[in-house]
Amino acid sequence: MSTTQEPPRHALGLSMKRKEDPRFIRGRGRYVDDITLPNMLWMALVHSPYPHATIKNIDSTAALAVPGVKAVITGKDLEGANLAWIPTFHGYDKQMVLAVGKVLYQFQEVAGVIAETREAAHDAAQLVEVEYEELPVVANPFDAKTDKVILRDDRENKTNHIYHWEVGDRDKTDGALANAEVKIQQRLWFQRCHPAPLEPCGIVADMNKATGRLTMYMTSQAPHAHRTVVSLVTGIPEDKIHVISPDIGGGFGNKVPVYPGYVVATAASVILGVPVKWIETRTENLTTTGFARDYHMDVEIGATKDGAITALKVATVADHGAFDAAADPTKYPAGLFGIVTGSYDFPTAFTELDAYFTNKTPGGVAYRCSFRVTEASYAIERGMDLLAAELGMDPAQLRLKNFVKKEQFPYPSPLGFVYDSGDYHTALERVLKTIGYDDLRKEQAEKRKRGELMGIGISTFTEVVGAGPGKHFDIMGIKMFDSAEVRIHPTGSGIVRAGTRHQGQGHETTWAQIVAEELGLDPQNLLVEEGDTDTAPYGLGTYASRSTPVAGAALAMAARRVRERGRKVAAHLLEASEADVEWKDYKFSVKGVPGKSVTMQEVAFAAYTNPGPDNEPGLEATYYYDPPNLTFPFGAYVAVVDVDRETGETKVRRFVALDDCGTIINPMIVEGQIHGGLTEGFAIAFMQEIAYDAEGNNLNTNFTDYLVPTALETPEWETDSTVTPSPHHPIGAKGVGESPNVGSPAAFVNAVMDALSPLGIKNIDMPLYREKVWRAIRDAEAKT
Amino acid sequence: MDLHYSGTERIPVPRDKVWAFITDPKSVGSCLPDVIDYTAVDDHNVNATVKVAVGPVRGTFKFQIQLQPSADGNHVGMNISGGGFGSVVNLVAGADVSSDGDVTVLDWQGDATMRGPVATVGGRVLDAQANRVITQTFANVKSRLVGESAAPAPAG
Repeated sequence: MSTTQEPPRHALGLSMKRKEDPRFIRGRGRYVDDITLPNMLWMALVHSPYPHATIKNIDSTAALAVPGVKAVITGKDLEGANLAWIPTFHGYDKQMVLAVGKVLYQFQEVAGVIAETREAAHDAAQLVEVEYEELPVVANPFDAKTDKVILRDDRENKTNHIYHWEVGDRDKTDGALANAEVKIQQRLWFQRCHPAPLEPCGIVADMNKATGRLTMYMTSQAPHAHRTVVSLVTGIPEDKIHVISPDIGGGFGNKVPVYPGYVVATAASVILGVPVKWIETRTENLTTTGFARDYHMDVEIGATKDGAITALKVATVADHGAFDAAADPTKYPAGLFGIVTGSYDFPTAFTELDAYFTNKTPGGVAYRCSFRVTEASYAIERGMDLLAAELGMDPAQLRLKNFVKKEQFPYPSPLGFVYDSGDYHTALERVLKTIGYDDLRKEQAEKRKRGELMGIGISTFTEVVGAGPGKHFDIMGIKMFDSAEVRIHPTGSGIVRAGTRHQGQGHETTWAQIVAEELGLDPQNLLVEEGDTDTAPYGLGTYASRSTPVAGAALAMAARRVRERGRKVAAHLLEASEADVEWKDYKFSVKGVPGKSVTMQEVAFAAYTNPGPDNEPGLEATYYYDPPNLTFPFGAYVAVVDVDRETGETKVRRFVALDDCGTIINPMIVEGQIHGGLTEGFAIAFMQEIAYDAEGNNLNTNFTDYLVPTALETPEWETDSTVTPSPHHPIGAKGVGESPNVGSPAAFVNAVMDALSPLGIKNIDMPLYREKVWRAIRDAEAKT
Repeated sequence: MDLHYSGTERIPVPRDKVWAFITDPKSVGSCLPDVIDYTAVDDHNVNATVKVAVGPVRGTFKFQIQLQPSADGNHVGMNISGGGFGSVVNLVAGADVSSDGDVTVLDWQGDATMRGPVATVGGRVLDAQANRVITQTFANVKSRLVGESAAPAPAG
């Protein structure tokens, strides 16, 4: 990976091998399912086969007769404990834990069976007899809109419409679009997909009746937030709740919400006084936990004849499923969709969104995406290509003409964000050069003469991550700050704790690098610990690319506090006044006295053995960081594809991804993140959808129908970077985990549509299954 | 998931024998493919346990079958409902009975509705399996009738 970053410093910018990997690659990670406690019971859930039905009766007799079965818990049992319903993520709605009265989506949880073994629990779950009476099904948001069937009779407003949200200047935008010399209008559907972490969700809930403490070992991307939610919902004092999030086998947003399985297992442990384990099956994970996207977006862009953009309007219909459980900050019901103007300088823009209940699984999680940024990025990047086609203009040239310019930063967008920094022209020009864009266009022209379908797709996205400033961002009132604690031991090693929880991002390495850079210590000797609410400082967790922008900043600031405390000890050791001690070249020295210096390691030892008469012993600090703004990573991606006219199969020949995530902490980890995210973006573009039929049956319930690409299907990725630091972040970092998932789907689809453009095909919604592409080609050929 | 099937069986057996067979719950129960057990509840109803293997859904399904013969002897309706392992299957089938010389003709059609895991196996597998079950049932009816008429009458 080439980079324009300065040569590595002490620890920042080093491609250090991941400290966590030795245990993972040797199979020594410790996941929830590895935890076995004495007297532990197992739980299995009973799911509804119907998407919408009244529950007439639940008969547990046969299940209870299975040897080893201890209890069957239903919604009615939970009602007694006031746990039948829990608040959804942002607190605007509530969701059933176990169905009460009726079921609202297929596979909804109806009962929990507790048994001595996993097998007995699952066998008995099959024997719980539930009598249903079918109700009419609302399988899409457009039917929901008619309100012919009201799904949520528990709510005060008898409508399937959940909320309307809008931002921007409607009148000005409508006016600009009406007067536009050139205009495009296209409905784009970003399909319902699923993060599908390889480790499904699970919990071991352990209510210790002797101590009165509830310990929850759970797959949680946000352990502190979960502790608070559990306390608020159950009334158990927060000090009596201990959430431990052990190693997590991928999350991608899926492990942010609280799911019924966690609650029922916990209730069972509280009732029975023994630990209860629940581990999801693959089908349960795909059918009942948080899906992502499912936005139907009407995109309109206006421009002058010579390609200067004049206005953008996007109207979205969102399918939220049976409960409004979308994982969005409380004040942002449509997440950060306002980033839909992307990298372009629109004089005016307006976007609105209406969300609806349907008989589908609830969710709307940020699947490797900062709260709906992927949907927004897809809309604008597809829209720009459609505009380029309408104008007969090269899509790269259209982008270069309309980018926000480097000197416009900080850039106030028409939809209310202030972009921190960027250099879009350099990024696109560089990636076009790397891939040999002009030669590719020549090759394409030759191939088109021969009837061959070759396409080039560009996506020059801007992300918005790092939620977020506490004045705007909260989850049920808790501000979205994050935290770090740095404690240096006498010998100069230390322990670093943060309120985040990694699921493969490499925090155990990068957090050590940030602190080591600030203190001149060896990152190998800084132990990073996350995920234990008894020891880690309170934080909002890891999702939405917020760890580096928020907790990463807290780490740097906590380390700087340690440094300030160290300065006092150094002054004592150097027999100088504190004001004369400076931190230079990773050690303390006396201004103007060359050669007189002490290292942080020496200071650490003195902090415990000889701190100085007026200095507090020890060397540690905590910092809670409330970011002043979001960060705005960006990238320029180019995909080159060949589409087989006879089979509809797309081969991704080349893909160059240039990312700018500000200061790079560990280039190797960043590259790994980009490879992973591109592979997910590729999967979304070509093979992943959670589809429902008209009767509300979920058609993608396992890995034979919901595909995860293997090395065999995955294209080879080429990566590159530029570095435009964030001016407000202590180390200039912006976050990168999600950029490739956000930016790449549009690049793939733009490439395929570019390939199909000689046939007059303008849009095919993802996933671009080869059958879909083949049918589109056949239909187009039939017309000519 | 809704599926529709139809077909015709031409059975070289007199119409009254065919009619007696297809309106007898015990006889119909015995013709279900992969049937493990069946019990006639009354003149029109039979409960059956059937072995099912559709993709990952494998096990026994329990079905209630209700026969609805028309008074004129031209049509028999059949409602099959049941399921297992969290899946639900409903089948509304029917056969028009007519004569073509010595041959009795069954024009049958059926509509199946599936819910739960069995419905999610995907059309390509499910459609073929459901079609096989229905086709095999009517084929069994035919072979049993032909077999019985060919066999010597039981003594006594």
